[in-house]
Amino acid sequence: MEEILKIRNLKAYYFTREGVIRAVDNVSLSISRGELLGLVGESGSGKSSLGLSIVRLIPPPGRIVDGEIIFRKTNLLKLPEKELRNIRGKHIGMIFQDPLTSLDPLRKIGDQLVETIMVHTRVNKEEAKEIALRALERVGIALDRFDDYPHQLSGGMRQRVMIAMATMLNPDLLIADEPTTALDVIVQSRIMDLLSDLKRSMKMAILLITHDLALVIERSDRVAVMYAGELCEVGSSERVSQEPLHPYTQLLLESIPDVEKPRTKLVYIPGSPPDMMNPPAGCRFWPRCPRAMNVCKSIPPRSLELDGRIVRCHLYNGGLESGV
Amino acid sequence: MHKDIRWCDAEVTSLKVFVIARLLLVIPTILLLVSLVFFIMRVMPGDPVIAIVGMKAPPERVLELRKALGLIDESGNAIPLPIQYLNYLANLFRGDFGRSLIWGKRPVLVEIMEHLPATIELAIAGFLVSIILGVALGTLGGWKGGKTNSAVKIYSAITYALFIPWIGMMFQLLFAVWLKVLPVGGRIDPGLEPPMITGLYLLDSILTGRWDSFVSALRHIILPSLTLGLVISGVFSRVARTSVEEVMRQDFVIAARARGIPEHRLVIHVLRNAFIPIMTMMGLQLALLMTGAILTETTFSWPGMGTFLFERIEYRDYTTVQGTVVFFAIIISLINLVVDILYAYIDPRIRY
Amino acid sequence: MYTFRPILVKLVPKVKLSTLGWVGVGMVMFVVFLAIFAPLLTPYDPTRTVGPGFQPPCWEHPLGTNKIGQDMWSRIVYGARTILIVVLLSTAISMLMGVPLGLISGYVGGLLDRILSMIMDAIYAFPSLILAIAMAAALGPGIINTAIAIAIVYVPTYFRMVRGQTLSIKEQLYVEAARAIGANHMTILARYIFPNVISIITVVFTLSVADVVLTEAALSFFGLSVPAPTPDWGFDLKAGHPYLLSGYWWLITFPGLMIMILAVGFTFIGESVAGYFQAREVRA
Repeated sequence: MEEILKIRNLKAYYFTREGVIRAVDNVSLSISRGELLGLVGESGSGKSSLGLSIVRLIPPPGRIVDGEIIFRKTNLLKLPEKELRNIRGKHIGMIFQDPLTSLDPLRKIGDQLVETIMVHTRVNKEEAKEIALRALERVGIALDRFDDYPHQLSGGMRQRVMIAMATMLNPDLLIADEPTTALDVIVQSRIMDLLSDLKRSMKMAILLITHDLALVIERSDRVAVMYAGELCEVGSSERVSQEPLHPYTQLLLESIPDVEKPRTKLVYIPGSPPDMMNPPAGCRFWPRCPRAMNVCKSIPPRSLELDGRIVRCHLYNGGLESGV
Repeated sequence: MHKDIRWCDAEVTSLKVFVIARLLLVIPTILLLVSLVFFIMRVMPGDPVIAIVGMKAPPERVLELRKALGLIDESGNAIPLPIQYLNYLANLFRGDFGRSLIWGKRPVLVEIMEHLPATIELAIAGFLVSIILGVALGTLGGWKGGKTNSAVKIYSAITYALFIPWIGMMFQLLFAVWLKVLPVGGRIDPGLEPPMITGLYLLDSILTGRWDSFVSALRHIILPSLTLGLVISGVFSRVARTSVEEVMRQDFVIAARARGIPEHRLVIHVLRNAFIPIMTMMGLQLALLMTGAILTETTFSWPGMGTFLFERIEYRDYTTVQGTVVFFAIIISLINLVVDILYAYIDPRIRY
Repeated sequence: MYTFRPILVKLVPKVKLSTLGWVGVGMVMFVVFLAIFAPLLTPYDPTRTVGPGFQPPCWEHPLGTNKIGQDMWSRIVYGARTILIVVLLSTAISMLMGVPLGLISGYVGGLLDRILSMIMDAIYAFPSLILAIAMAAALGPGIINTAIAIAIVYVPTYFRMVRGQTLSIKEQLYVEAARAIGANHMTILARYIFPNVISIITVVFTLSVADVVLTEAALSFFGLSVPAPTPDWGFDLKAGHPYLLSGYWWLITFPGLMIMILAVGFTFIGESVAGYFQAREVRA
């Protein structure tokens, strides 16, 4: 499968008055055409920052410090702003967690759709309206909602509008940052169905950023698990869920409540996320890791390729270096 | 077709409802303000009549004045306070704002109308200057952040605290006395007044093609409007800055950028969202504008309401002072009403 | 939560001032210094003729003399007293009226609250200077009258803030608990609500005092403040204005500059305080 996004050694830090937050610390990842990659992590793991960094929208005091982001053979980090704007919205779409605040509250949704179309294409207003209406149709929104304001729509509908806006120009990649977190489970399921549909019909790759591992396992092709700014494990959903390698992944899987297997106690991961300004030395997960060894406390583990998967843990030093 | 009817129904009706509700609210507000002024002027300690004419005044003069102030009726009996209040309200309702105690019983309203255009012209000019300066600087600070933001913050703080007469005088010193490029005061060179259409010299001179009048009026309005505008721009720059800052932090800005919307289009959208607090401020600043205009006028000998009020205070013309204050109160309430309606028109969320 | 900390400590909330805030404190302290040490700093009596009129700044009169030969420097220094006294007095009166009314209105609620709020809103909406002028004109000159006139204008400011705080505290659980153990209304107001309102009073003060200074200056500019020989910056400014054309710049520059220093100083402090609370909200 053609690789459309390749992130290499990305470092994005927030330079605050109190200190430097290493939100994304040396992350490498790739996504192929038509693939749904789920990026899982707790809040503060850096997953949202990673998503924003891809399109260089990380807000100040954040800044991309190092690395390469290669989208279809172009390094996005080296592109002049003007060309980057061309890519945003047209070749790479992005949807956010809270659709109410992601839409301009003072403008009708139809106008916002039309504007996006006209910024990126050479059509006139009528044609743009047509495209917008078709996009709304595709995501299942009644056409007479074209002139509504965002606050007049329900949460699920707003998210659909966002999806319409992000996908109507047939992007190669859709970055979805917690698209369903603010919605209830039934709506969540429908939205995910919609995304899967679009992915299939448009051969669009999706980077699904979420904290919900269960969702990722259920819906995505591949999984990437992130902790404290670093990737722990990357692999196909099937294999990662059946045979998780990294202790963090194992704990995450165990903590998913399973309706079919009633448990007596709810499993959780002990400890709390690390202070991102002074992360632990060595492997960042060691204070909470049930299998931590002495070497974990001082030497950061390297990313290794193992059996078609990537894992970063001292437990698996028998594989090949993953060329990172 | 169906869609259009829906638009007509929902959007316009909700606006109508809002306007009616707001209009109804204005009546008690004005009533309250007007009563407040009455209370102040009547129930304050001290005998105003003595203040005007002194202790040794002839009794006929005292009686005359008491009648003029509405304290006693034709036969010399004291009118009880509640009746005074009702008379006062009744008069106002008829448009009678009282009569001057010194200028031969001229109706206050007439005198106000003579001086009002000058103040309106100055207020508009000052307002424009303040908006241009304030909103531009504030938006710049809010948009760019960092050092520009801090600089704008300091600008806002200093200009807000400027004492208008002083800064006006400094301008006068610089431009009129030392550099001698602009006149020190007044509204126009004597003899160059344009024919009266609106009472606004700049407008009237353009309308009647009197370019000499226009130039003279322009030269005279520069310093006062700059003074007034500078001081009020502080408020606008602060509001614009914080408003823009807050809007910029909102998700839809990032989301819009993620769609590739260019910065120059984004500015418009951000401003539209940021504009609501700015607009509210504009309405609230009306009060500041008026007080600022009064101070500016007295500094530049600008023949408007400010100088008028000041003069009458000096002459102890109580009825005129009272009538003028009441007039201000009513006008301000009405303008706030208009601002509120405009506010509802721009932000659809308020109506629903 | 109510603790048994001394009330004075509560009056000064632990606020970290920015650099700008400290600059403001410096400016205000400068004026206070002048006011306190006035007799030590001035060689002349500010109300008497001590030299020829209209002297530009020179060695004997560093800020020059005015029309009747009074030393400008002495007038400036003593003027600090005048303005500070009026400002402090009027603030005190505003607080004394606004705070209890706010407490009662917020606590009792109902019709009383509605009526008081409407009155306060009406006063608040009125341009401060015009109202102050109207009141000062009616009351007549004098320090106390001026202070009262200005005070009335700012009563709604204190009223609203205190009322708002009272409303939110009133609903808190610990007040309900106090009521449950039988505390009467006075006790609740005095021991539970009032202490939590104090810190906000200080904030309101810092934010509004610059305004009060400017209102006082404007009133004295109109001759509605303190009577003639008392040194007063606004009055001097007005007195010196007619001589602008003759180039007697020192008559107006210094009084006005002092007004600015005091007003801008307070504004810097106010901005710093407001910024601090904003930052706290954002972080929370």
